[in-house]
Amino acid sequence: MSQLGKLLGERRVLVCVGPGGVGKTTCSAAMGLRAAMDGKKVLVLTIDPARRLANSLGISAIGNTETRITDASFRSARLSPKGQLWAMTLDMKLVWDDLVRRHAPSEKRRDQILGNRLYRQLSTKLAGSLEYMAMEKLFELAQSRDYDLLVLDTPPTVHALDFLEAPNRLLDVLDNDAARWLLTPALAAGEIGLKFGSLGASYVARTLAKFTGAQLLQELAQFLVAFRGMYEGFKERATLVKALLESEQTGFVLVTSPQTLAVDEAIFFARALREEQIPMQAAIMNRVYPQQTGAPSVATLRAAGVEETLAQTLAQTAQDYALLARADHAAQLRLASVLGPEIPLHSIPRFVRDVHDLRGLWEVNEHLFGDSA
Amino acid sequence: MSDLFARRLLVVTGKGGVGKSTVAAALATVAGSRGRRVLICELSARERMPALFGTRPSGAEVGLITPRISSVHVRPNEAMREYALMVLKFRAIYSAVFENRMVRYFLRAVPSLSEIVMLGKVCWHALQDDRFDLVVLDAPATGHALSLLSTPSTILELVNEGPLARDMRAMQALLEDARRSAVSLVALPEEMPVNEAVDLAAQLRKVVRMARGPDFLNAFFPSRFSEAAISSLKKDQDPNLEIAARAARAYEDRAALSAFYLEKMRTELGRPPICVPHLFSESFGALQVAQLAEVLDREIPA
Ligand SMILES: Nc1ncnc2c1ncn2[C@@H]1O[C@H](COP(=O)(O)OP(=O)(O)OP(=O)(O)O)[C@@H](O)[C@H]1O
Ligand SMILES: Nc1ncnc2c1ncn2[C@@H]1O[C@H](COP(=O)(O)OP(=O)(O)OP(=O)(O)O)[C@@H](O)[C@H]1O
Ligand SMILES: [Mg+2]
Ligand SMILES: [Mg+2]
Repeated sequence: MSQLGKLLGERRVLVCVGPGGVGKTTCSAAMGLRAAMDGKKVLVLTIDPARRLANSLGISAIGNTETRITDASFRSARLSPKGQLWAMTLDMKLVWDDLVRRHAPSEKRRDQILGNRLYRQLSTKLAGSLEYMAMEKLFELAQSRDYDLLVLDTPPTVHALDFLEAPNRLLDVLDNDAARWLLTPALAAGEIGLKFGSLGASYVARTLAKFTGAQLLQELAQFLVAFRGMYEGFKERATLVKALLESEQTGFVLVTSPQTLAVDEAIFFARALREEQIPMQAAIMNRVYPQQTGAPSVATLRAAGVEETLAQTLAQTAQDYALLARADHAAQLRLASVLGPEIPLHSIPRFVRDVHDLRGLWEVNEHLFGDSA
Repeated sequence: MSDLFARRLLVVTGKGGVGKSTVAAALATVAGSRGRRVLICELSARERMPALFGTRPSGAEVGLITPRISSVHVRPNEAMREYALMVLKFRAIYSAVFENRMVRYFLRAVPSLSEIVMLGKVCWHALQDDRFDLVVLDAPATGHALSLLSTPSTILELVNEGPLARDMRAMQALLEDARRSAVSLVALPEEMPVNEAVDLAAQLRKVVRMARGPDFLNAFFPSRFSEAAISSLKKDQDPNLEIAARAARAYEDRAALSAFYLEKMRTELGRPPICVPHLFSESFGALQVAQLAEVLDREIPA
């Protein structure tokens, strides 16, 4: 059995990481499908799936609801799973709202936060927010033990490492001494009747207000006041999430494409995981041009009876393709040398069309597990 | 479309990895060859523009790439500093307030702050920097670009007094003025990139109200073979012909996809994009950018 197959059998949580647009969502769904075929009850937690894939699986793009892939879908793909495949799209705003509801010490506080104008922006734009929420949801689902296997697809990040650091960064921002120090006069004014005048106590705050406008600073102060007392709950969760990720139950799969920049980032990511002591179990290079058996020359083609102009275009095209395949092969070697012999590097060829249904995912699996269909 | 390069600001965006930087570089090259003094503003995590032109990294300072083209890597911390200094006038105040460790920390919590200062810097070059006629903004990918371009209106919802509000109004006026700025979308002939471009076009109409420059379908495979030519190869069993036929078939599959997504973009965006050919080469640098610039020069009316 391939190492990936073993992983699916042994772990309770699989996390697919890698650069943007390389096929993380596709690989997450494919591995989830495989485990479901083998008899597990699987949930694939995806973020921003391709619309066509979401549509064909029947999962809606919004709403944080766990949706079971229907028997009808499986039948039309000529597949009969022994287990169940569930999927869910993460809606960041809704996860935030849930979180606030859960941790808010009172109804009043809850409404204050949900009603704050900055909250809406903070909850969707704050760096690390999406990553934190993905982990939060993952943890909640892992706790409930409704599923044999959870596959977490991760959001594309500017810096590969953002994903792991995000929870800490978010907590830093929410629970930071700096904010308290700066806004102490404002915070001291309490939750009600917070006036900008109270900010005026601090020279620094006043200068900042000149820059951002008083209103913005005031709303931020209100927001931070409302969040007071919730940090502890957040922090505890973040620690537990980290422990889950580092535990034996969890496996990491690195996905990349052969593009130079993607491989650079994948290598960077592999090293970062190693430094964090988070072991990576497998890597996948997706959308690879298969090796060619050589490109015939114009003369060879002419000798085989091909007319001159066609022979030229054919030779050029064969050469162009060989070039793509050579580059992809070099990319595989480059990544493999960094991964070392312990971490297998699987490859999936570049299909003509995008992967947008169960059948397509199953074809992906043939390349990942060899023994699928 | 009236003269694209007579504008002050051209924004280039699209899904991650579709070729935004490449198209921005080629556009800047064409504008430069038509006599404009161009500044490329790069808003990515890593600076890539100078490498694409085969010159040294210029970092957060404006650096010359060719006599007509310069580039600058716009970074949040440096942009923040420049902007704050402009508003506060006095370095001493800046140091006291903004170089305060606590404040730096705190500022990370202000939503969109880095976007404000980065877009602010770009707009400043477009509006006030006499060294340049045109700013080409190599913008971040779709979602991020949308939030970047809508920062002025988002902030104006929260703030309507003070220097920040005043600057946001000036930025918004620039963005919404069709004679001074335009945004171009880049896609690849693939499902997700094209969908993102189409969605983004709709969002831009609703949220940002910027004029649209030409769209680009990058890494396009123009058809090379007729169906008849490929099937003519199948008649005998020569292995060389088989290899050639396989490559030709694979190529034509890509060409068919290219044609399909060209048509999709044309119908869903209401006009055809400019097709930028896929270049087959081991590496991608100055030579390739120049090659693509030649194509764009033919396609974009003077
Ligand atoms: N091997 C393949 N051959 C052809 N198309 C593929 C292949 N793998 C994935 N795709 C297509 O590429 C697109 C991107 O894949 P996917 O959504 O899985 O990437 P992602 O890494 O999750 O992207 P993001 O970082 O934006 O979330 C999809 O349209 C998918 O169908
Ligand atoms: N027309 C083309 N033919 C062949 N390769 C291309 C073409 N355009 C771009 N590329 C290659 O595709 C890759 C991505 O291009 P580029 O960096 O311009 O994309 P981007 O949209 O700016 O990416 P990012 O979202 O990471 O900023 C580069 O490695 C580039 O060499
Ligand atoms: Mg994805
Ligand atoms: Mg780029």
